[in-house]
Amino acid sequence: MIDLKVQPLDEKRILISGIPPVLATVLHEIPEILELRDAPEARARLHPDPTADNDSFNREWRQMAGPELRHLFVSAGETVGRDLTAMEVAGESGDDYQVAFPIEHVPAWMSALNQTRLILGEIHKIDEAEMNRTDFDPQSARHLAALRIHLLGYLLHRFVQLEGGDEPENDI
Amino acid sequence: MAPPIETGQPGVIIIGETKAKDELSSPWNVIVHNDPINLMSYVTMVFMRVFGYPRVRAETLMLEVHHKGRSLVWSGGREQAEHYVHQLHSYQLLATMEKSET
Repeated sequence: MIDLKVQPLDEKRILISGIPPVLATVLHEIPEILELRDAPEARARLHPDPTADNDSFNREWRQMAGPELRHLFVSAGETVGRDLTAMEVAGESGDDYQVAFPIEHVPAWMSALNQTRLILGEIHKIDEAEMNRTDFDPQSARHLAALRIHLLGYLLHRFVQLEGGDEPENDI
Repeated sequence: MAPPIETGQPGVIIIGETKAKDELSSPWNVIVHNDPINLMSYVTMVFMRVFGYPRVRAETLMLEVHHKGRSLVWSGGREQAEHYVHQLHSYQLLATMEKSET
């Protein structure tokens, strides 16, 4: 049974506890996945055009807003990458992992988790049907990507709850 | 650009004011588009944070995105619309702006 929790450890720190080994593995993959942010499909998703048909405005937007957004996204990934180095085995059975980090890193965690999900989605062309798939083929890269997206989404939802958001839990 | 307007004051003319005022006063719509990855709870949270909407309104808009593929989440001045689109992009939502037809 998964007992994943994201909660204050004290006034200054947040603790993610009850991290199952499979999620711990995916979390360790985050920095590597985020390195794919400049792949064309990932870049297009993380830096969408602000209008559907105004090419000159879209170009200007990319020049003005693009670098700032990229810095925001890269910085969030680096913060989470550093925090993850402190992830450790927890509990007597040694089956779960936990990691604590400063409370001001919460926005970076939410950003990095979501970036990772979106990048996986774009790289592996995950659509609504793939997200709702109930069968699973461990040999399929797309199925494994969808599994990673769901696992990271499960953790992201815990962060949303921490921040005062709540249900529903499905993907849009 | 509109032609220069004489103000009657020596050395003072206004360039393009009419068009600028028109562009600023015309309503712009901020649209959020559906995507298969973003969590419903995450999108609701973003609407509450960015626009200050109460949960019920944020959830209604999120469900409209989910069911209809897009939702008009805000309408108003161009500059504010740009600000909101930028914020929505920083949360990794698919957002665009378009001039209102009304």
